[in-house]
Amino acid sequence: MTITDFSVILPVTLLTAWASILLLAELFLPRAQRPFLALLAALGLALTLGISLAQSAQEFAPGFGGMVVRDGFSNFLNVLFLLTGLFGVALSYRYNQRAQIERGEYYPLLLFSVAGMMLMGQAADLIVVFLALELLSFPLYILSAFAYPRPQSEEAGLKYFLLGAFASGFVVYGIALTFGASGSTDLARIVASVAAGSANLPLLTAGAGLLLVGFGFKVAAVPFHMWTPDVYQGAPTSVTAFMAAGAKTAGFAALLRVFGAAFPALAADLSPLMAILAAVTMLFGNLIAVAQTDMKRMLAYSSIAQAGYLLMAFAPFEIEAARTMAVAGALFYLLAYTLASFGSWGVVIALEKDLDRHLSIGDFAGLARRSPWLAAAMTVFMLSLTGLPPTLGLVGKIYLFRAVIEGGMVWLAVIGALTSVVSAFYYLRIVVNMFMREGEPAVEREWWLEFAIGAAAVVTVVVSLWPFPLFEWAEWAVMKLF
Amino acid sequence: MDASQIIFFLSAALILVSALFVVTARNLVHAALWLIATLFGVAVLYVLLEAGFLAVVQVVVYIGAIAILFIFAVMLTRRDLLSQSSQTNANWPVALGVSALSLAAIAFIARGFGFSLDRPLAPVPTDSLERLGQALVSPQQFVLPFEVASVLLVAALVGAVYVAMNKK
Amino acid sequence: MNFWTDPIKVIYDWLMITLTGWGMSGWLADVLINLLGIIVLITAAMVLDILLVWVERKVVARFQDRLGPNRVGPFGLFQPFPDIIKLIIKEDITPAGADKVVFNLAPILSLASVIFLWAVIPLAANVYGVDLNVALLYLVAAGAIGTLSIIMAGWASNNKYALLGAYRMVAVMISYEIPMIVALLIPTLLAGTMSMKGITLAQQDGLWFVVLSPLGMLLFLVAAIAELGRAPFDLSEGESEIVSGFHIEYSGMKFGLFYAGELLHAFTFGAFVGILFFGGWNWPLPWGDKYPLIGIFNVLAKGMFFYWVIMWVKYTVPRLRIDHMLAFNWKFLTPLAFALLIVTAVVHAIFKDLPLWAYGLAMFLSNILLGWAVLEILRSNARQERAAEETPAPAAQH
Repeated sequence: MTITDFSVILPVTLLTAWASILLLAELFLPRAQRPFLALLAALGLALTLGISLAQSAQEFAPGFGGMVVRDGFSNFLNVLFLLTGLFGVALSYRYNQRAQIERGEYYPLLLFSVAGMMLMGQAADLIVVFLALELLSFPLYILSAFAYPRPQSEEAGLKYFLLGAFASGFVVYGIALTFGASGSTDLARIVASVAAGSANLPLLTAGAGLLLVGFGFKVAAVPFHMWTPDVYQGAPTSVTAFMAAGAKTAGFAALLRVFGAAFPALAADLSPLMAILAAVTMLFGNLIAVAQTDMKRMLAYSSIAQAGYLLMAFAPFEIEAARTMAVAGALFYLLAYTLASFGSWGVVIALEKDLDRHLSIGDFAGLARRSPWLAAAMTVFMLSLTGLPPTLGLVGKIYLFRAVIEGGMVWLAVIGALTSVVSAFYYLRIVVNMFMREGEPAVEREWWLEFAIGAAAVVTVVVSLWPFPLFEWAEWAVMKLF
Repeated sequence: MDASQIIFFLSAALILVSALFVVTARNLVHAALWLIATLFGVAVLYVLLEAGFLAVVQVVVYIGAIAILFIFAVMLTRRDLLSQSSQTNANWPVALGVSALSLAAIAFIARGFGFSLDRPLAPVPTDSLERLGQALVSPQQFVLPFEVASVLLVAALVGAVYVAMNKK
Repeated sequence: MNFWTDPIKVIYDWLMITLTGWGMSGWLADVLINLLGIIVLITAAMVLDILLVWVERKVVARFQDRLGPNRVGPFGLFQPFPDIIKLIIKEDITPAGADKVVFNLAPILSLASVIFLWAVIPLAANVYGVDLNVALLYLVAAGAIGTLSIIMAGWASNNKYALLGAYRMVAVMISYEIPMIVALLIPTLLAGTMSMKGITLAQQDGLWFVVLSPLGMLLFLVAAIAELGRAPFDLSEGESEIVSGFHIEYSGMKFGLFYAGELLHAFTFGAFVGILFFGGWNWPLPWGDKYPLIGIFNVLAKGMFFYWVIMWVKYTVPRLRIDHMLAFNWKFLTPLAFALLIVTAVVHAIFKDLPLWAYGLAMFLSNILLGWAVLEILRSNARQERAAEETPAPAAQH
């Protein structure tokens, strides 16, 4: 064991240790000091973020015999995941007090989940991929069921757990077949065995297909999306916000790592499949979202649709030039999606006064008069999710569509554009509600929440005006991937 | 044919027959007991493959812990309800189709696998147990997954305690 | 090589020559001889079991200041036979609503789980069923089958008391498995192998493991008693509240199988204590490893002694309540077992290259130190609790 080994997983280790300490800290903190835990959790995340940023300049380094790596890709994702964690804490802080679910286990579980996500970004071995997947999912199952006496929350936790366990079964089976086909679980060695022609290709394809199904569950791609609306609706909103951004990003991290790096030889077989999956997901998610009146369900279907846009990144894998751009575009879009998703869930939390009654779209009526800044921020997030200027969402979509067109799949780009038009209907309906309708929405004023929403909105707008450094970072991140 | 082949065929038959009964048994406790028979058959296969450690772990973990907890959970539910409910639902034709498709896929893959009796058996290292232990704690091999698994267990344990805790 | 130093080999060779002389093929003869060996081993165990019935009854009588069986044969030595005849001629009842197959399978599995254990017991240096390199885990696996048999018996009887007894027993067995496995890791660590023969050989060359790890021995003994479901951990039977637990509905020889299984199980674990911590076939005199008859005598004598210790505990200590029992496991035995494992590993790693007496002394002292520290912690805890009890709570008067 060397110093490099440790430095590679230093952020994950630090976060895990911090979570464990937090578990113990809760034991010794008097009840009145409980809110302090959120601050401690945020501090841990911020510290880890600092270390990750400090490491971001460093070069590619494998650790623990090739089990994990640190490269641009993992650094980009680590930063994204830690931001996700920080947003999650900010959104949870007051909400949990209101919902009376402020218990000591909340923040350690959240931190464990973030650690799992980070490990997912760094994994270079299918065994680590699987363990990271479980480490990020298990706390989420519990967090979904965290609002214990509320039956919807329990139902959400149970549904998520059962379907998640089912999906994990697919992943394990896929790993087993991949191992059988190539004789290794190490991604680099799988690539080598495919290149050398010693791998059993039908078996490898079957394994890859099973892995795809498993990850498809995690990112909520159609037809593996069934759990999403119910879980998003039933779980405490702070958890939903964290889950919508974090779990999806982590799922895509795994997809990018495994399918981007390990199965390029299968790209010819898989890319049409991926394209169809992306098209179906975009169509289905957007069309169903139109019919929703419940805010949380609408956002859930919107997140399914967003998964469709992200899946487009896997479609042009056959063409070398388009591939790098597509993956960089996906990373960029993930960041845009994370910001917009957190922002819109934050606004939902701010409006959710009565926790037993679900927030409907009509409840946004009159928000512009009551609280203009909140309405403005919400407008930004909705524009970003639709893909309209001046937001990051637009930039991300442009990059993705361009990569798809360069990859020769014009039809997919057309579907993407058309469904974006459809999505404008339900996203902008909220904006219309906020600005054009009369109403008296009750708004919670919380400093942390407002700060988080404001930051997300400002970044979404400002960076979109000059997105090139960010895109360069994303491109640098994927350079070493292939 | 020698003794190990006879044992193989017997245990293979045990695995298949009891696996069939796992699915068809109306009584859930019976299904769990058949499952145990299946798992035991698999343990016998491990012994035949000279993977003694895996065989014993199979019995300790799958029969001694998981299957017993299955039975525990089943027994805590209502007994008569279980025996009368229908075993299929309206989607069985779809399930049949998917199963047939999977079987076809497996058959296709197996056909290309190139099974052969002429291939020499891989030698089983005599110190396989030691090597397994070393691999689990070697930094060049599996120490990281091992540690991650323990972190995962801590997280799951915290969650289990939280869910099971008697609130008020 | 002659019969007195390696009897198994001599008998095997003789049978092999005879059987192949009759025209039998080599592998079939091999299978047949092995089967024969298994049958002989099981029969020997069962005959021993019959003796154990007498021992148990005689010893419990002495503990309770009675004479015990003394009518049939010298010292009542033939008492088990009337017992068995009584069990056989009793009516064999299967309660209405019982799940017949499972109900009848349970006692068989119960006894089988004990018989399984005999496969790995090294009775002497070259008299053993099989020298498994995972024997200690195998021991736990066989225990899992025992757990299964109990839950099957409790469920199939269609009786609430039986089910309750099975629940209690399984909860206890699953919990106490953990300190037992950890305690089993200590001989593994000291000998560097999980094979029972290897562990005995390690003690033959070095010190007996009871010297190196007296605490480990105690932990294993306590966990073993709990695994056996014997008093003070016999709440699965709990006559006062659940009549007799999981075997309430069994009569005749089916009950007999449970009973025989329990006695043999207790003796077998006694033998394990002897093998893992007291040198197995070795004794302070020479020839323990050379002449199998002496080895077998040593193993059986040690087994019998620890069987007696288990009985001693059983008839002296009252039954625990289930929450106390689980708390004892999770809050005391399990942490202690892990602490001991860590201490043993560290001390072993530091001192193993020193001369034997220094190594032994270090190991022994580290155990004593750990035990003393634990006792001190417990004592101060108890003092605090007592103080809390004694300060009169204002509203607690009834």
